[in-house]
Amino acid sequence: MSKLSVKNIAEAIYDASHDKSGNELGLVLKRSAQVLKDKRMLGKSKDVLTALQKMIDKKTNTIRAKVTTAKSLSDQERKKIEQGIKEKYKGEVIVSEFFENRELLGGMRVEVENEILDTTYRARLEKLEKFLMK
Amino acid sequence: MSNHIVENLRKEIEAFKIDENALKVGHVVEVFDGIAKVSGLSDVKSSEMVTFSGGETGVVLNLEEDTVGVIILGDFSKIVEGDEVSATGKILEVPVGDAQIGRVLNALGAPIDGKGVVKTAKSYPVEKVAPGVVTRQGVDQPVQTGIKAIDALIPVGRGQRELIIGDRQTGKTAIAIDTILNQKGQNMICVYVSIGQKDSKLRKLQTRLEEGGAMAYTIIVSAGSSEPAALSYIAPYAGVAIAEFFMDQGKDVLIIYDDLSKHAVAYREISLLLRRPPGREAYPGDVFYLHSRLLERACRRNQDYGGGSITALPIIETQAGDLSAYIPTNVISITDGQIFLETDLFYKGIRPAVNVGFSVSRVGGNAQIKAMKKVAGTLKLDLAQFRELEAFAQFGSDLDDATKRQLERGKRAVELLKQPQYAPVLTEHQIVSLYALVKGYMDDVPVEAIKAFESGLIDYTDNNAKMFRKEVLDKKMWTDAGEAELKKAIEDFKVNFMTL
Repeated sequence: MSKLSVKNIAEAIYDASHDKSGNELGLVLKRSAQVLKDKRMLGKSKDVLTALQKMIDKKTNTIRAKVTTAKSLSDQERKKIEQGIKEKYKGEVIVSEFFENRELLGGMRVEVENEILDTTYRARLEKLEKFLMK
Repeated sequence: MSNHIVENLRKEIEAFKIDENALKVGHVVEVFDGIAKVSGLSDVKSSEMVTFSGGETGVVLNLEEDTVGVIILGDFSKIVEGDEVSATGKILEVPVGDAQIGRVLNALGAPIDGKGVVKTAKSYPVEKVAPGVVTRQGVDQPVQTGIKAIDALIPVGRGQRELIIGDRQTGKTAIAIDTILNQKGQNMICVYVSIGQKDSKLRKLQTRLEEGGAMAYTIIVSAGSSEPAALSYIAPYAGVAIAEFFMDQGKDVLIIYDDLSKHAVAYREISLLLRRPPGREAYPGDVFYLHSRLLERACRRNQDYGGGSITALPIIETQAGDLSAYIPTNVISITDGQIFLETDLFYKGIRPAVNVGFSVSRVGGNAQIKAMKKVAGTLKLDLAQFRELEAFAQFGSDLDDATKRQLERGKRAVELLKQPQYAPVLTEHQIVSLYALVKGYMDDVPVEAIKAFESGLIDYTDNNAKMFRKEVLDKKMWTDAGEAELKKAIEDFKVNFMTL
């Protein structure tokens, strides 16, 4: 029998739980934890949760974004950025986290899944440095 | 002066543009022995080049469900878990250009000979599909190696793939070097790919080529034994990409892979680290394809496609003469023939230690010039018969005259085919000495005097058989008048030689 992968477990948990609620959902989740224990996969529970999160995001068309800027943004600016991400990635729900990093000097860095749009001054200066070094 | 510098800098900065597109990135999950497992990089292609945040380059080899396996081309000690890895969208490329001639490059095309930057304008992908059937033509022009035993018996043509195979210390690299040295004035660019060799050996080889004036048309691509296996794996593909650049210009190129056994070992190391299932001798299942796709890129293009060619001389090192090991059988079946070198012959003093019986050239006969074909026609058969008779003659002393004659001729043929290293012989000279042998002029010359006879004869005929020489050089064949002149010159020389 082939070994169960993290993805297999996450899929099974999702299939068993997505249409449940209340006590029934609690029971499914309890059993899921028991399966992880029985299969000696508790050490991988973090990976299972990440895979489950990804799966749920995909089903609910949720986009998770990480935005880093040099100075803090106003609510209006944040909303504008979220709207831009929503349009570009065609998502229904946007879950965004905003960070501040003075070392970026200016501009912003947006991370969505495995894509990065880096328009910070720091990144530009680094590119200029590499260009001149050539 | 300073104004000039400022002006140049301003121009450079003005030319600088930033591409503000979203980058596909991943993160290093684990890194070990020159391999990195990277998460993310969802749209990455196989063989795509990726860059690590520290500036190192990698090539994607394994595409798995959640991660990709990347081989790191360079120093992997600075790469740590969590490092950002960005996809480039490009298949690995090496710079190519005329400026590379005479230089020693690493597997990524960067100079390592301390002679400064190599300015190139173009790049070629290291992995490329071999030219198709319609672009090719038959092999019909010779590569003159300058080695009598090879040019006469196992001729190599332009566009051919001829394997040089033998145990360690049998003179495999020596044949390759002699061949490069003999390409002077033959309209040939040479690429020597050194895979997993000691740096001292490479340095010696470079010095030898410089002394022989061969670096004027040679490029050395090296992945040393101290470098990661990934570079050894890439080196032959980088070499052939450089060769393809010259072939695309209609030039003839000779490429030597020294050696593909080490290449296979490097690939085995990478494959095992990438957790690919091992097969025979622990090599991965695609080790045949590894070499076949490389050697298939050697070809001769027809005139409609520029008419260039790549001749490949791969080298394989056997263990205790075992030709039936996995890699030797693979490469024997891929190539168009092999030059088999034997330890026993080497220690008997027969150098180059070519075993004429086991060596073949599947297309070579068409690639010989007519004159060579004529003199070498029966030589191979004579030598094979000689070896058989030699073994047989050890048992009995009473031999008939015909057998004795054949044995004597064979001894002289073996003696004549001996040749010191770094002393390639011109084709017209080879023809003269082989003509004298096959026509029986050497039958009464003592075996120990054959070498002296040969060198004397070559000097004499250079001055006294000029018509013959001119015919062979211009028309690749002699006329009756030319042959008569040569015969007379040989007879005259022999009279003088025997009376000495």
